[in-house]
Amino acid sequence: MSDLGALFRAAGVTGYLHAVDVDTGAEVTHGADEPVVLASVFKVALLVEFFRQADAGRLEPSERVTVMADGHTPGPTGVSVMADDVTISLRDLAYLMMAVSDNTAADTLIRRVGLPAVNAMLAAAGLDGTWVEHDCRGLFASIVEDTGQEEMPTDPAVIARLRALDPARTSRSTPRDMTRLLSMIWRDEAASAESCASMRGLLGLQVWPHRLAAGFPYDDVAVSGKTGTLPTIRNEVGVVEYPDGGCYAVAVFTRSYGTAQNQPRADAVIGTAARAAVERLRD
Amino acid sequence: MDLVRHLRYFTVVAEELHFGNAAVRLGMAQPPLSQRIRRLEEELGVRLFDRSSRQVRLTEPGRLLLAEAREIVARVDRLRDLAGRGEGAALRVGVPPDLGSSVIAALIAGFRERVPEVRLAPAEMWSADQVIALTDGTLDVGLLRHPVTAPGLSFGPVLVQRPGVVLAEADPLAELSSVHLADLAGRQLVLFPREPGLHEETLAECRHHGYVPEEVHEAQTLGLVLAGTAVAFGPRVELPGLRWRPLLGSPLAWRVSTAWRGQAADAAVTFGAVAVRVLKEKAGMTDDGAAPARRVRARPSSGFLA
Repeated sequence: MSDLGALFRAAGVTGYLHAVDVDTGAEVTHGADEPVVLASVFKVALLVEFFRQADAGRLEPSERVTVMADGHTPGPTGVSVMADDVTISLRDLAYLMMAVSDNTAADTLIRRVGLPAVNAMLAAAGLDGTWVEHDCRGLFASIVEDTGQEEMPTDPAVIARLRALDPARTSRSTPRDMTRLLSMIWRDEAASAESCASMRGLLGLQVWPHRLAAGFPYDDVAVSGKTGTLPTIRNEVGVVEYPDGGCYAVAVFTRSYGTAQNQPRADAVIGTAARAAVERLRD
Repeated sequence: MDLVRHLRYFTVVAEELHFGNAAVRLGMAQPPLSQRIRRLEEELGVRLFDRSSRQVRLTEPGRLLLAEAREIVARVDRLRDLAGRGEGAALRVGVPPDLGSSVIAALIAGFRERVPEVRLAPAEMWSADQVIALTDGTLDVGLLRHPVTAPGLSFGPVLVQRPGVVLAEADPLAELSSVHLADLAGRQLVLFPREPGLHEETLAECRHHGYVPEEVHEAQTLGLVLAGTAVAFGPRVELPGLRWRPLLGSPLAWRVSTAWRGQAADAAVTFGAVAVRVLKEKAGMTDDGAAPARRVRARPSSGFLA
């Protein structure tokens, strides 16, 4: 149960994990400082900068924008799959970006917030291992370029040459950096207290039940998080809140040996490993 | 007439339902016994026994008066006991059998310190039996688990015990630092016998948290747990082959208090104070009202409106 390496191996993945007690700083590490591919987890950093700019009065969260149907970023959820133009507020785009990892919503916000501002915020917070290389459209463009096809590849030889799976050439972080960013949100340090509360609310509205949340199947335990998925990559970072007040930030990044898109055990081990780490923190 | 003596005759006849046997027990002949029961019936203005058939049977009023008569007789005995001063008075207290020997020893020591002239006579009894014994007058003060209902009982301050779960050491859940009630799904459960109120409350809380025991056993020992057949709730135990784990979120709150019938004697009041202190120090109990409200944290994927 508590041997994280064995858990990850049994699920057919290599895993990197950092778990920290937000109140005491006690931690559990398993490759916590290794560079990892962020995939959609980068949207947490974008969310923070979006709210910081709202705090600073540089944007108005309730401002309505129209997202044109012919300008979508590819993606399986939210505005990305809608057939028509959508007029929606910036903060509702932020909701779709967090709840269902809507790529079009994220890219629309990036056009407003700017990636340089996101990276400047990360640097100012001392998250030196974290860098957002491109928006969702740029990420997919690199995959299409490397594979010569539009579909997500499952051919191991093709996957091996994807820049999108190399932390040095795509958006990257470390498990420890991500738990630190989450802790800042939970401690009202990432932005104003009101904005941090909004961010916590949005992270709590994420719909996926199969990764982090699967490790904590209890009515009185809250799980908030953000997933990230690419060929062989399954990630989730989040915060688990226990009924006795215990609050734990957990970041789990995995890379599967197999290339199949559907690997329930690889999804589930994110929750199992997080639970084991939290158990250790609570021992 | 000596009402108490007549009531004693009444209780013995009611137990035997046979005048001959009752007379033997009382060390007297049968005719005077029958006579005295008749005089008691005249005194009270009701028929206590139905003697019409070959069998002696209690009448309905007789049944109603029997419990009171027993109590009066028991209390008079007790009065004589206390007045006897022969080998010192005793305070008869009921304690839950699962309390553990170290807690019971601390209760006795603590009470001896405060009231050395009264001996503490603890009897291990479950709550339902304590209620009966308190009502009968065979127990001076109880230490029992709520909810209980009985007319005429008074209760001391309520303490809360937060039970954990006892598992076989081979149970995979024993590897967790704390266990959630929902984790117990599919397992059988052992609950204390003779604790009906506690059963209801405990099982309701289990259902709230997604645990519906496959089967509920009433048992006083942890044999079924040791065998890997079931799990049990209770205070921390250190026994070979077993593992105790706290329950995540402390969902169960078992309430304990002292109880007595009528006017509590000084010694019973003192015992109550000693019990509160000992249970807090030795059994990890806390003042009532410390129970955290259960809060459901809805998730979009599992919420009922999704």
